[in-house]
Amino acid sequence: MRAPASAGVRAGATRALALAAVFAGVGLLPWYSGRDPALTVLRARSAEQEPTPEALAAIRADLGLDAGPVALLADRASGLLRGDLGTSWVSGTDVLPSVTAGLQVSLGLMGAALAVALAVAAALVAPVLVRGRGTSGMVAAMLAAVPEFLLATVLLVVGGVWLGWFPTAGWKGPVHLVLPAVALGVPAGGLLGRLAADALPAVLDERWAELWRAAGVTRARVAGGALRRVLPPLVPQFGLVVVGLTGGAVAVETIFAVPGIGRTALGAARSQDLPLLQGAVLALLLLGLLVGGAAALVRHRLLGPGLRDAGLTLPAPRPPRVGPAVPVVLAVLLLGMIGWGLLRDPYAVDTATRLAPPSSSHPLGTDGLGRDVLARLGHGAAATVGTAAAVCALGFLPALALGFVPNVAAGVSDIANALPPVIVGILVAAAYGPGTGGAALAVALVSWPPLAAHAAALVQEVRASRFLSAQRAIGAGPWWVLTRHVLPSVAGPVARHALLRLPGTALALASLGFLGLGAQPPAPEWGLLLDESRAYVERAPWAALAPAAALAVLAALAVSAAAYGASARTTRAARTARTARKVPSRVR
Amino acid sequence: MNALLEVRDLVVRYGAALAVDHVSFEVRAGETLALVGPSGCGKSSTAAAALLLRRPDGGEVRFEGRELTRLPERDLRALRPAMQPVFQDPYGSLSPRQRIRDAVAEPLRVQGRWDAATGPARVAELLARVGLDAAHGLRRPHELSGGQCQRAGIARALASEPRLLVLDEPVSALDPSVRAGVLNLLAELQETLGLGYLFICHDMALVRHFADRTAEMRDGRLVRVS
Ligand SMILES: Nc1ncnc2c1ncn2[C@@H]1O[C@H](COP(=O)(O)OP(=O)(O)OP(=O)(O)O)[C@@H](O)[C@H]1O
Ligand SMILES: [Mg+2]
Repeated sequence: MRAPASAGVRAGATRALALAAVFAGVGLLPWYSGRDPALTVLRARSAEQEPTPEALAAIRADLGLDAGPVALLADRASGLLRGDLGTSWVSGTDVLPSVTAGLQVSLGLMGAALAVALAVAAALVAPVLVRGRGTSGMVAAMLAAVPEFLLATVLLVVGGVWLGWFPTAGWKGPVHLVLPAVALGVPAGGLLGRLAADALPAVLDERWAELWRAAGVTRARVAGGALRRVLPPLVPQFGLVVVGLTGGAVAVETIFAVPGIGRTALGAARSQDLPLLQGAVLALLLLGLLVGGAAALVRHRLLGPGLRDAGLTLPAPRPPRVGPAVPVVLAVLLLGMIGWGLLRDPYAVDTATRLAPPSSSHPLGTDGLGRDVLARLGHGAAATVGTAAAVCALGFLPALALGFVPNVAAGVSDIANALPPVIVGILVAAAYGPGTGGAALAVALVSWPPLAAHAAALVQEVRASRFLSAQRAIGAGPWWVLTRHVLPSVAGPVARHALLRLPGTALALASLGFLGLGAQPPAPEWGLLLDESRAYVERAPWAALAPAAALAVLAALAVSAAAYGASARTTRAARTARTARKVPSRVR
Repeated sequence: MNALLEVRDLVVRYGAALAVDHVSFEVRAGETLALVGPSGCGKSSTAAAALLLRRPDGGEVRFEGRELTRLPERDLRALRPAMQPVFQDPYGSLSPRQRIRDAVAEPLRVQGRWDAATGPARVAELLARVGLDAAHGLRRPHELSGGQCQRAGIARALASEPRLLVLDEPVSALDPSVRAGVLNLLAELQETLGLGYLFICHDMALVRHFADRTAEMRDGRLVRVS
């Protein structure tokens, strides 16, 4: 076991390394992406100017691209140390003021979102404390799984357009804050509430709580004691929640036209404005890093020097018992709709029936070009889920390999955990242009840590088992032991785990598609469908709500599949533990 | 004097702790040396080091006259089949994923002695030898009783055609009514195959009945050999 202090140092070091790598990676984009930013910058600066070789050469010289990668990077780095982030390639203005202005807006938004998140978390935890035992935690898990872009779109449609209660765009006063803060805060609150609500039942079953209750201590005081016990270990998770917020801010700010740092980053990536992209992404990552560090510090304070590790780890949460029924029903529902949609043509444009309501010829209506929404959903699912399957399959092998080198895996997964998929998506799109492959790569880059952790735990378990020394005793070499015994015990469970993560992966892909970082029109990708339909929510709510509903079902499937996987894993572990216990109590 | 296993000044350390402190003994072919002593005195550590499953931190281990502690792992692999362990935990020493039949066949495959024509018959013969039938061979460890599982472990050890068995409390996890059967099996195998046994045990009554000679350990040292 590593001491928590050194783990903190390691996490800090790996994250600083990640920052430096991102900084250098963005700075060197023009050299390894093979895309010349001069053309994009020329277009962005003026629409009229012809992209003649001379004009492009002038721009390249102006941007400092002629000096070569090393000189440019050194120049940037020394500028950064002096607090100079360079000038925007597109607007020609200083990057630093844009970044600080955006950061101010985003901080305001995130602060409001955190307040929402805490309220949501409190609402989720209260019933557990009042009743003194656990709930299934499915509500919290659902809230945590709803992607921000989906929630934001639904809020925009319902609260902004239909009810007209709140403004839907801009940043002029407190009312403008409501919808974005709710969209950003609810998933974060779901995550926080879920972490606490998962840990509480086991804590309330601990010996001390039993003793207190037996001694007639009031329920409120037992609840207070349980909260004090649960909160310190959860404080570091706060850092993760904020990392999630920085990712979610990109979508939410884009949807509500909030001039924050997330929208700035996305815009800079689209226009290949590398200095601005560098500044904005650094600011976002630094924000997550600082909050994570602060959270670790608070935890340190809360626990005091003497109590740092002993006995303060929480008992393992007991995942809710979830049968296969719920995920199977949801999967059948989705598959039925997809199958029906696949039989129809997603590209057939029929301008006579644009934005038609649902009818027998178009069961879910038509979109702005008169294309059948059901067909587009069906084909889009095939593309999204197919890509997600590829991502899961690709993530499986590295995760399995990293399971054998847990120390390396821990360092790398620290970095992956510090990077929200959206930001990785922005960086990949900036490098290779938006596209399905880039989105898949971005999601694959950050989605493997849970798999690797699972693989590492299994490898450790197998390596520690007695029958491996029995293998050496018969003269088996390391290759035999690896391929005949270790890999087969590890690969199966990890593959099942990877499969259960498929719906969540599909959601992450859809969120990149929604932001224009994934599949491009006219491809029928789910996130893209939702984005396209936003333009005509007032006239054709069906066309907008159908993809939103499909995504919500996908989120529910993600949650129930993950919960089923977790409960299946624990029951299996309990079963093997029982077989192992057979031995000391003499058996016949 | 034909010593099968000869251990001289064996030392095993775990970090700073000395678990086995200059222990010397020998086991001859066809005889049983019992290694007794209180819990934690270093019996299992001695066994693991004698089998080179854990490299000793000092001393010599000779098997049939050949010094093993300085051999590279690759050369050792060829010699390992001749000295087989039988562990205390019958379930833990077999892979939970393997059928008994495959676990018994595995040494033949690893050692390149597997032959599709004669292999299955050899496995059936080994199972029969320890009192199991073909139906047991199709099961996995958790589908057998503790006694049957220990018999399967012995069959697997025999598949390597060993001349020495190191038995680390082979019957202490078993119900008393099953013990006698396993002990009788071990005695009969020794008689017919001429095996040497290093027999680690707690139970003095059993030792008196079963062992030819006894070595007693305490706190990592050998205090008495008879
Ligand atoms: N892997 C290990 N790491 C550190 N110390 C160990 C390890 N294995 C054993 N020890 C220690 O070495 C000493 C001898 O252990 P060993 O298992 O050899 O005892 P034993 O005589 O077999 O006991 P028992 O009769 O209970 O099986 C003990 O003090 C034990 O705590
Ligand atoms: Mg022992």
